[in-house]
Amino acid sequence: MTGAVQQVVVHGGGVAAAMAALAVARAFGRLDTKVTWIDTGAAPAPHAALIASPDLATFHRLLGIDEAALIAGAAATINMGQQFAGWSGGEDAFLHAYGDAGSAFASLPFVQHWTRARQAGLRVGLEDFCLAAAAAKQGRIGAAQGAASRQAVKQGWHLDAAGYAHLLRGACEQAGIQIVSGAGASSRLKDAAWIDRIDLANGEKVEADLFIDADGALIGLLDTGGNSERPAACDRMIRGSAAAFDPPPLFSRVAAHRAGWLSVIPLSDRTAIEFAYDSRSLSDADAPAALAAVVGRPVETGSAEAMGTTMRRRPWVGNVVAVGPAAGDAPALDGGELLLLQLAVAQLVLLWPIDRAAMPEADIYNEEIAGAWARVRDFTAQHFRLNGRTGEPFWDAARAVPISAELASKIDLFAARGMFAHFNHEAHVEDSWALVMAGHGVTPRSFDPQALQVEDQALMAEFQRQLRAIASDVRGMDTHAEALRRIRG
Amino acid sequence: MGDKFDLVIVGGGTAGWMCAAACAAKLDPTRFRVRLVESEEIGTVGVGEATLPQMKDFNDFLGLDEAEFMAATQASFKLGIEFVNWGRQGDRYVHPFGTFGRPIGEADFFSYWIRAHLAGAAAPLSDYCFPIVTALQNRFMLPTGDPSDVRNAFAYAYQFDAFLYARYLRQWAEARGIERVEGRIVEVEQDSETGDIAAVKLASGTRVAGAMFVDCSGFRGLLMAQTLGVGIEDWSHWLPCDSAAAVPSARSADFHPYTRSTRRKAGWQWRIPLQHRTGNGYVYSSADISDDEAAATLLANLDGEAMAEPRVLRFKACKREKAWAHNCVAMGLASGFLEPLESTSIYLVQMAIMHMLTLLPSGPDIDPALPAELNRVMDIEYDRIRDFLILHYVANDADGPLWQRVTTMTVPDTLAGKIERFRHRGHVQAYRDGLFGPPSWQAVFVGQGIEPLAADRLADALADATLTERLSNMAAAIADGAASAPMHADFIARYCPAPAL
Repeated sequence: MTGAVQQVVVHGGGVAAAMAALAVARAFGRLDTKVTWIDTGAAPAPHAALIASPDLATFHRLLGIDEAALIAGAAATINMGQQFAGWSGGEDAFLHAYGDAGSAFASLPFVQHWTRARQAGLRVGLEDFCLAAAAAKQGRIGAAQGAASRQAVKQGWHLDAAGYAHLLRGACEQAGIQIVSGAGASSRLKDAAWIDRIDLANGEKVEADLFIDADGALIGLLDTGGNSERPAACDRMIRGSAAAFDPPPLFSRVAAHRAGWLSVIPLSDRTAIEFAYDSRSLSDADAPAALAAVVGRPVETGSAEAMGTTMRRRPWVGNVVAVGPAAGDAPALDGGELLLLQLAVAQLVLLWPIDRAAMPEADIYNEEIAGAWARVRDFTAQHFRLNGRTGEPFWDAARAVPISAELASKIDLFAARGMFAHFNHEAHVEDSWALVMAGHGVTPRSFDPQALQVEDQALMAEFQRQLRAIASDVRGMDTHAEALRRIRG
Repeated sequence: MGDKFDLVIVGGGTAGWMCAAACAAKLDPTRFRVRLVESEEIGTVGVGEATLPQMKDFNDFLGLDEAEFMAATQASFKLGIEFVNWGRQGDRYVHPFGTFGRPIGEADFFSYWIRAHLAGAAAPLSDYCFPIVTALQNRFMLPTGDPSDVRNAFAYAYQFDAFLYARYLRQWAEARGIERVEGRIVEVEQDSETGDIAAVKLASGTRVAGAMFVDCSGFRGLLMAQTLGVGIEDWSHWLPCDSAAAVPSARSADFHPYTRSTRRKAGWQWRIPLQHRTGNGYVYSSADISDDEAAATLLANLDGEAMAEPRVLRFKACKREKAWAHNCVAMGLASGFLEPLESTSIYLVQMAIMHMLTLLPSGPDIDPALPAELNRVMDIEYDRIRDFLILHYVANDADGPLWQRVTTMTVPDTLAGKIERFRHRGHVQAYRDGLFGPPSWQAVFVGQGIEPLAADRLADALADATLTERLSNMAAAIADGAASAPMHADFIARYCPAPAL
């Protein structure tokens, strides 16, 4: 043992570099760990927006990021979930809200009772028993006073990516992180698995014990483990902006398109649009018009980009930890990008090396991160596997894309019994899985026989009680505008 | 559902009657018919006398009255397991049913303890654990229910007579509609097309047919092994003990609210204090000691008069390849065997029951996703316990042929990684489900002499003097809390005295 990590370099730009620098400085700055951010100048793509899950809202407290600042600096609106439209064929839509898939009773998850009632002819969807979904659809948010449903309502954010990156950078400066320009910098290896220092264009030599790489250049020097490819349906993405909604919805909407999907993310000053498509079904030249046709109003678009599908098998090699884009291409749905970035940064803080000369923590970290990526990929992959748009070449192919054994067993068990096979590293809660699978049209074929202990009449009475409680709770909630005003203070 | 779904439990030991009782409590009798077939000619093994805190969850799930159950089974309370001579001769430590200290700021207590310990400024880890301090004074109390009270940071289990427990559950289940069928099974009838079990035939000629069968027939695995031919995964190269000599002795003055395991030349000896007697046994490797010598060693190391001749049991550390095959679920000894070093036998039965109830098919056709899930989760349970047991064997002085072998053997990769990671920084992965949690691993690692090089750096944030003060306050609060608890013997005498047998 030679001692604790004292010098840290964060290399890269944008949201990932800033978040990593800030988290490390806040956790270890008081132990005299010095953080230098070598800014490569990389910035979020024009028009880009981010979907932050409720987990990030919690993480912001650790980072010292104020919610009012998000509204002022990142055009933030509240995110209660994602709506999926047209994924089953017709015009139908469902909402994956961050809340409870009904309230458990008689010691069993609500889904078990719901499955039983569906078999007896109930037509009400699972989503209707979710307070967060009901509230979001009616434009309501916040804790109801004397809540009758006793259900949780969690909220994340919709963020303008450039504004959020700028805001995090400001927080880094305030935290005393030294930020220097990385233009023309070169890195020096101590040996094949260790980086010594980075030489800046101005001649300054920045030495560090640990390098956090959000850019990919550093990890690329050390990592010989390669990438794992994720089978994916779309290979191109184009982003754009349209006028803001008034009032902005409390959820984003992901609409299925014959050649891909289109995500509409409400911000306070604009509506961000992401259109992912398959180049075999739609050309880059035709994409802007196709996008505008779906949105139905004027859209300013950027240029089309390739959508990557790789994940680095070993994001931590030697004394370099890759985060954000350097770690891989996160799934572009379900808030995967920020979720995986947050998990990577939080895991690094947890596994902060105890010794600057040897870092066996890398193996634990790589195992945890690979697990988290696999489960986050599974969550997004389920949308494609369960789509009901038969007869359309893109969607038929999307349904046939191979899935992991873990996702296959999750789908099989939910379809059979309304239960979930849990693995380590799950990043989404069980109720989210249930709302999404049920939303995609999977009704379990059977239910836990212990549900039969509840009498038919008692079951119906409990269902009616829950629906009434939800309606009453929603009436007591704030509008989106009221909630934002309250946060701004 | 028209006809009732027929569930047949084969074997009436602890596993069989636990399963029957759970069915009685949770399955609608208008839709399920549950029968248990057992023979009075066949004895039960009934060694599982020490349990884990999950046992209380199971009793609560059934709705049993705790004091009544304890009186009926001659039960005592259990706050953990004391390991004597493990690691090194003369050492002792307790694996508690509770946590060490409480988190300070962002790091867990264990990281602070490691930091202070390495600096020579900490008391032994056990001083920061309420159930250990309390147990070693032969005291016991129920958790206070107040999360801010050190006297709430633990769970408890029971030490009981498994034979009496089976008898108690039998009465309980029969009173709630479970049919008991007396008779020795002479033939198992399989469906000629599917190979599923159709019925069991008794010596009397009676035929008991069912849609689903539960094999609780013990080591032989009448349905699972002998009929369906499901094999085992042999783990005896990691866990070489294959025999046990068991003997009850008269209750001694030391009425411990904990189980003791003492390491010996060819294995280890258990001591389980019940209200009416003390259970004892020597688990050994028959390659390293003769049955006679093992029995003699056991008898020479009792703290009360032996109440019978030692009885010898044979086993092999293993897991059944599948817990659910065709229309049959195996539970208890029919599903595998892990030595009782960490009191996991009844826990594994309980897990199999809970998963089976939830995954029970709704008709004659079994959706393959249902057995797949039960087999997946039971595999995880078995594998995790296996690794935890092996850890006890590898971290010892090599003082004898058995101990030379087990301390130098190649351990499962899953365990090797855990040991390395703990040595480096005290890292223990927390799992979503299954045994054992981080405090259990911390207790055994530290107890058997595996200590980390350093702790989580987040724990460096506290100033030395503040840390020392917090640690000593914590130990003082625990010592005071323990002193406030009544003696275990007095608590039992007041709460759940059992009739003399």
